Amino acid sequence: MKKSPQQRKLERLLQSSKFSASGFMGTDRRGLWEIIDEDAAEIAKRGKTMEEVAARMQQLTDLAEQGLGDWIQVSKNLHVAVDDNRGMIPCPWPHRVRCMKRITTARHIPSNTGVRWSDLNIHLIKEHGFFEGKGSPFRIEPGVLIDIIFSKD
Amino acid sequence: MVPLFIALAIISGIGALLAATLVFAERVISNYGDVEVDINKGNKKLAMKGGGSLLETLTAQKIFIPSACGGRGTCGYCKVKVLEGAGPLLPTEEPYMDAEERSSGVRLSCQVKLRNDLKIELPAELLTIKEYVSVCEEIIDYTYDTKQFRLRLTDGQHMKYTPGQYVQVLAPQYEKSSEEVYRAYSISSDPADQAAIELIIRRVPDGICTTYLFDYLKVGDKVRINGPYGQFYLRDTTAPIIFIAGGSGIAPMKCILHNMKNTNNDRRAVFFFGIRTTKDLFLAEEMTRFETQLAQFKFVPVVSQPEPGAEWAGVTGRVTHIAEDYLRKQGNAHEHEGYLCGSPGMIESSIGILKKLGITEDKIYYDKFS
Repeated sequence: MKKSPQQRKLERLLQSSKFSASGFMGTDRRGLWEIIDEDAAEIAKRGKTMEEVAARMQQLTDLAEQGLGDWIQVSKNLHVAVDDNRGMIPCPWPHRVRCMKRITTARHIPSNTGVRWSDLNIHLIKEHGFFEGKGSPFRIEPGVLIDIIFSKD
Repeated sequence: MVPLFIALAIISGIGALLAATLVFAERVISNYGDVEVDINKGNKKLAMKGGGSLLETLTAQKIFIPSACGGRGTCGYCKVKVLEGAGPLLPTEEPYMDAEERSSGVRLSCQVKLRNDLKIELPAELLTIKEYVSVCEEIIDYTYDTKQFRLRLTDGQHMKYTPGQYVQVLAPQYEKSSEEVYRAYSISSDPADQAAIELIIRRVPDGICTTYLFDYLKVGDKVRINGPYGQFYLRDTTAPIIFIAGGSGIAPMKCILHNMKNTNNDRRAVFFFGIRTTKDLFLAEEMTRFETQLAQFKFVPVVSQPEPGAEWAGVTGRVTHIAEDYLRKQGNAHEHEGYLCGSPGMIESSIGILKKLGITEDKIYYDKFS
């Protein structure tokens, strides 16, 4: 499929270090739309929607925020912590959205596995279905994310 | 074959014509000629070439407006009051302005293009800000994610600053950043030596400037800084002081404490320093030394979640709660001045607690860049 000039511009922005030191595409050799489509398929396979995933991430971030950096126990198996830094980071899509540089970490205690996301990740997933490219510092594997944030006690 | 060459020639001709049009537009249509920027009602007048943004034009004239995003319109820091000549507020600026700023002509200087003469108002202290070239003299690892950088100013220069203020550090273009960016960091060093400054910096994951400082900057490299900035400094009163800081927020407090020692300031002061684990604790010895040098100073490191097995005999809990307990026990909480530095969440929480205990907002100090 031929890409529009806007799509090409967006892909260039996502690969650049204009907003973050390593960009959003990492070492992923797939195109943006391929990444989005494959991650969307994984989310659907797990019986979730982007909105549900983003809403749960936001809920956990809001809970973690109360800890001011300390771990907050969400359930028997899940705890979360937030680390907020000064400043804002804009969304690379062509609209005026900017997010706090706040990073939430969720840890599944029994398996000792964790996942972290920024406020921008929540926006990118909710509005653009984008989990970032493999190798990007803030790439989130949809399956791992769902396993952790929707884990049952 | 001939029609193919004709088609190629036509396409090339159109391309050349478009390129020429662009060059013409750049030189003629976008040429705004010389413009004048009047600062503070005639106190300073700058004649310059139009066309650029107000921020970059002022920077070129060595007038530094705080900005963290390098003029991309994403940080909202480079606010300037424009009295005349800027045109209407742009959609790119609107999210950063409150009602009062909109009505009083405050603009983001990176978004205001110099098309004609401008009249602007700048705080007098911004006119004294200078750019310095420094050399990185020493890098000290404090914790797994926090370092101290010592920068010596070149050419025998000195930076006159008030303890508690901050500077902007320029991260140049490097492997991971195609653009120069500025970021703000508080000065932590002893102000007795104004030929060098120290900055305590915590790594921001994938941050453009801290990635440069942590992974690319080496001892001996040149670093461009400008400053000093900020209204965070010790007020000249006799009120008891409560300092609350988290992580690298210790930096301006350390600078203020050095100055208290240098000036034999014997005000009552207590410093609650919040960290999550014992691995996050640093500068404890230096802070304890201040306790012996300042008659009425107490340092209280507070670990909120000591790691299992850690030998921690100090105070455990959330720094804001521990500070609250302390103030309640004093019985004169409302007489204190509060000085805060740390994450936005910690500052917000501290302000709430101090206000609840009767400290009025005008006695609570923290930097707006926080």
